[in-house]
Amino acid sequence: MKKWMSVWLSILIATAIVAGCSSGNGGSSNGNVSSNGGQQGAGEAAAENVTVSLWILNDHAWIDGAVEDFKQENPNINVEVSKYGVDPLKEALKVAANSKTLPNMWFTWGGSLGSFYAENGLTADLTQIAADHNWSEIYNQAAIDMSTYDGKVSGIPYHLNAVDMWYSKQVYEELNLSAPATFEEFEAQLQTIKDGGFIPLALGGKNGWHIMRLTEQLLEHFAGPELHDQLNSLSASWNDPAVVQTFEKIKEYTDKEYFPKGHVALDQAEAINTFYPGQAALTIEGTWLDRSINTGGFSTDDYNVFKFPTERVSVFAEMFQINGALDQAAMDATVKLGEYITSLEVVNKYIDTYGTPATLNVTFTDNTPHVKPLLDMATNGGFLITDQALPQEVVQKLFEAQDKVALGEWTPQQAAEEMDKAVNDYKSKNNG
Amino acid sequence: MRIRLMKPWLFIMPALLIYLTVIFVPSLYTLYLSFFNWNGVAPTKQFVGFRNYADLIFRDSVFLKALANNILWTIGSLTIIMGIGLMLALLLNKKIKGRIVFRGIFYFPFVLSGVIVATIWTWMYNPMQGFVNKLLESIGLENWALAWLAEPKIALYAVFVAAIWHGVGQPLVLFLAGLQTIPQDPYEAAVIDGAKPYQMFWNISLPLLRETFVIVVAITMVSSMKVYDIVYAMTGGGPAESTHVLASWMYFQTFKFANIGIGSAISMFLIFITMIVIIPYVYYTTKKSHV
Repeated sequence: MKKWMSVWLSILIATAIVAGCSSGNGGSSNGNVSSNGGQQGAGEAAAENVTVSLWILNDHAWIDGAVEDFKQENPNINVEVSKYGVDPLKEALKVAANSKTLPNMWFTWGGSLGSFYAENGLTADLTQIAADHNWSEIYNQAAIDMSTYDGKVSGIPYHLNAVDMWYSKQVYEELNLSAPATFEEFEAQLQTIKDGGFIPLALGGKNGWHIMRLTEQLLEHFAGPELHDQLNSLSASWNDPAVVQTFEKIKEYTDKEYFPKGHVALDQAEAINTFYPGQAALTIEGTWLDRSINTGGFSTDDYNVFKFPTERVSVFAEMFQINGALDQAAMDATVKLGEYITSLEVVNKYIDTYGTPATLNVTFTDNTPHVKPLLDMATNGGFLITDQALPQEVVQKLFEAQDKVALGEWTPQQAAEEMDKAVNDYKSKNNG
Repeated sequence: MRIRLMKPWLFIMPALLIYLTVIFVPSLYTLYLSFFNWNGVAPTKQFVGFRNYADLIFRDSVFLKALANNILWTIGSLTIIMGIGLMLALLLNKKIKGRIVFRGIFYFPFVLSGVIVATIWTWMYNPMQGFVNKLLESIGLENWALAWLAEPKIALYAVFVAAIWHGVGQPLVLFLAGLQTIPQDPYEAAVIDGAKPYQMFWNISLPLLRETFVIVVAITMVSSMKVYDIVYAMTGGGPAESTHVLASWMYFQTFKFANIGIGSAISMFLIFITMIVIIPYVYYTTKKSHV
């Protein structure tokens, strides 16, 4: 008896591990899942009152005021907001998609992150609504395009972000520099900044995507727009001289100590702390940095932006996707909420904390002076940011390649070959 | 007679039902999913047999690295964390002044969440402004200052140091509880017989702590096999995927890449490995148990 009890005890202990790790319906979801979330809207189709559940990032603080305003204007629509961090939101959405408990509406990024829900038939097709409600006159067309998959509009455009170079005016003035016009000038400035005792590039590599912002600019420079687009769409081989040149630059910049010490493991929150007080000269950030500068107690007047010396700018969209399983009443209420919180009235009211809206004709305030210049840079053309353009497995391989090149574990040529192999593996797996 | 036989099962039934529902059945479902290529939401799953397992072993270098890291972590936990826990328990079991305060100090980190601990230690390891390098510089050891989390060869060990600080409280408390159940008589007899302290430890404390060791070893082993939060929060599996453990790679495969089958296969590896170690261990120790 004791022997069997021992064996059973062992099995129970061991299976307890899986309880924490299992990936099926038994997987745990974390974060603030609303107890009234899921598809309650569909269940209340005939009811007079409708509840709309919304999942959004926890730093989008403006949403609380906007939802309160909406509820006052629409007393028969109750809105329940659940907030998450970046990775918890991605995880919660995957778990909810798996267990068919997605909320009525959720925030998501464009590209390969948002496409998962659209391509698997989990989002509402908003094409007709977009046409009926004249979205092309309300939202930036680029944002609508980036919310469209397989010809179907799959989300209400929310943000349109442009990512490019930010510099510290204090450092640039001290070193007598001005925004570079050519790539050669940019590289010369990096060395001047280093020689002047400053960190040239305040970028942390812990999560991969901050160094990726430099990688993609270098790739745009060496490959040119056409090949860059082909690489991102996996229609060209990554084992290409332009990719090798890009990785060579990552290695060169690492060896010349253009990044903060130990940059491969540094969180961007740590790296950017060298930029704010003027210990570092440059960083690559998006339109949201004005808000972060203000929040950190620094002045936006002390910083400026310039366009990396390439033709196009890295851009990405964010959107609100709507659950495709809602009934008509819930769908109407959810679309109403989505259009309301992205309306010009709401955006202008909360503009200082709203981010970079996809909504047209917005009035920016002096608190975010660099948003418009960054968006203007994108008018000549943009390329979709790499971690949304590529499948996530390939993105992870790119992050690994960046690290291994910087650490000298792979040569730039090996990195290009490994990227090519990852792309081919992905293609062969997904083509059956 | 029948009622007497049924009684234990009736008592255990509520807990057993919950356990079967939330742990055992999902675990079986995870095993089932590990034989499919599935993204978690598509209406159809492609049956691939053992291909997910084979791919992990023969094609996924990160998986093998993660497996090796888990083994290292387990060995480290069973020796260093458990060893320090036992040592502190022995010290704090003595009648020394302020021992209750010390017990609180040593146990305190264990009540913090792994993510909080990771945040604290990440900043301490910051290569430019961190406490560790500043301390080394202040005592003239600036040559020892490193980018602790940026070197693939030492990053996992740097995380493990944080895990020691965090985790040593658990074995400490369990060993302390075990030590306090040991009566004073054998020690007094040993003193009369002229035994030295290490002899008393070896011949009295250790044998009488057998039951505690069963629990501590099992808990430590399970915890170290499923370690995740502190590694993920401190390094994200990097640099260059060098600090991934099985649970973090399973998270990446499942939630980032939507490879439910592969993520499930990693979970099954975790359970198989743990069972291989735990079953003989619990069987053997229970057989020799006093109860």
